[in-house]
Amino acid sequence: MTRRLALRKGIGYLVLIAMLLVIVAPFYWMVITSFKTNGEISAFPPTYFPQNPTLLQYQQAFYQFGFGVYFRNSLVVSLVSTFFVMILAALASYALARLPIRGKAPIMVVLLMISTFPQVGVIFPLFVLFQSIGWLNSYQALIVPYTAFNLPFAIWVMRTYFIGIPKELDEAARVDGASVMTTVFRVILPLATPGLFTGAIFTFVACWTEFFFALVFNNSNALRTIPVGIALFGGQFTIPYGTMFAASTVAVLPVVLLVLIFQRWVVAGLTAGAVKG
Amino acid sequence: MRVNKLDRGYAIAGYAMVTPALLVIALVTLFPIGYSIYMSLNAIQSTYSGFQFSFIGLHNYAIIFGIAEFWQSLGFTTGYAIVTVVIELILGMLTALALNQPIKGRGFAVAAMLIPWTLITVISAQMWGYIFNPVYGVLNAILLQLHIIGQPILWLGLPNLAIPSLMVADIWKTTPFVTMILLAGLQLIPTELYEAARIDGASAVRVFFQVTFPLLRPSIGLAALFRILQAFGLFDLPFVLTQGGPGTSTESIAMLAYKALFNDGEFGPGTAVAVSTVVLVILLALVSLRALRTQVGEVES
Repeated sequence: MTRRLALRKGIGYLVLIAMLLVIVAPFYWMVITSFKTNGEISAFPPTYFPQNPTLLQYQQAFYQFGFGVYFRNSLVVSLVSTFFVMILAALASYALARLPIRGKAPIMVVLLMISTFPQVGVIFPLFVLFQSIGWLNSYQALIVPYTAFNLPFAIWVMRTYFIGIPKELDEAARVDGASVMTTVFRVILPLATPGLFTGAIFTFVACWTEFFFALVFNNSNALRTIPVGIALFGGQFTIPYGTMFAASTVAVLPVVLLVLIFQRWVVAGLTAGAVKG
Repeated sequence: MRVNKLDRGYAIAGYAMVTPALLVIALVTLFPIGYSIYMSLNAIQSTYSGFQFSFIGLHNYAIIFGIAEFWQSLGFTTGYAIVTVVIELILGMLTALALNQPIKGRGFAVAAMLIPWTLITVISAQMWGYIFNPVYGVLNAILLQLHIIGQPILWLGLPNLAIPSLMVADIWKTTPFVTMILLAGLQLIPTELYEAARIDGASAVRVFFQVTFPLLRPSIGLAALFRILQAFGLFDLPFVLTQGGPGTSTESIAMLAYKALFNDGEFGPGTAVAVSTVVLVILLALVSLRALRTQVGEVES
């Protein structure tokens, strides 16, 4: 019996170590490339560790390729979209969890369906619309679609948390004469912090990584976000890998840190998805 | 009476709270979809004063259904979706089973798995582009050093190599996501069931197929649904890694629509491709939802 358990554990470790190696290796390759000189980057066979580690690529990314602008654009668009998603989703999911409104089940199913809509189905009408109202190459051209596309999932996750909070708390607040808004913002939201974190992290990551809308709506250099900047990095025939990976490493860091710090809530979000279907 | 009045007040508050979110969603998704459908039924001329429409019924659909490139990109996207999702489910299941054991460093492993998920797809595409590079790519270097290949391979230069290469990049990035959903499902299975099976002397393989797998079906269905729908929107990865090439062998259906709409100015056929994609995805989602409905129904009641 114990031998079988030990064997299973052993296989488990092997699978995990293999999986972790496969996950980390390409990542390692990207990060060390960003510390190499251009000569070393195009050497063959390649070196598995930088011979003359340098920060030159980072310097170039910011001073020559203006990566700082992309970074700022991504930050503004992602933070503002996440803020709007959280406010709108908090209100909607409280109503869908607690208040006596009709059609809750159909609304939830339609939201689930919309969250899987392919972007290609809406991109051209939105492009035409934004063109006619002068929104192309603006922050709102991304903030509005990002808010809409991330709301359904945020509502699903937050509603799950609201349902888990004892109803007696709402009723106690009502007896004390609190309005619905006071109940939501003073009683329910503080208790639903994990749900809020989960919704916020998922929204932020989705906005931070989005490419299709950003490519079509904001293609002027001053308003490009990181994904578009990195996709169109460099010239047509040579790709400046070192500089690009320096920029990429900088782009990856904040999100990786965010996810590692709030790991528990990210996993909780995926769990909620699995439970709620 | 008083309760009714109160209830009505809460209902009004409820509608007021739901409306802003639903309005934003409808404005950005439903109305544009409607407009896409309208455009796909018209011949469209772009003039200085805007678009000129003339209704031609399903003619645009007849045009795209008659083009080999449409069927090719549809075939590529479908095959790509099926192959990547199946492999991701198998690898994800293996990893989830390993993570479900009481082993050390589990938290660390879970954290590490989340990293590819947070990575911008464009960045992972460039990263794999450098790894697959035919001149100084590390993949060729390793395979040459191990004497598995005799000379450098053009990984992205031939259709029957470019497609698997693209799949590898996708599987690398999304398997962890599948793992997490399956792990969540595994943790819902009561441990008593495993103990009972063990006391009955069932082998590990038998326990998996008779206990774990049936109980995990909803999670597997959910992960498959999410991934298939995502795969039908495939755009970022081939756009950067292969630009749809060589030829049009890795051109996804979203790329075809993008090309028609934004490069070639074929607005009618372009929107017809876009609408066909949406219809296909909705049909897939409905079929899968039917399979998952019992579960959703349980939660709602």
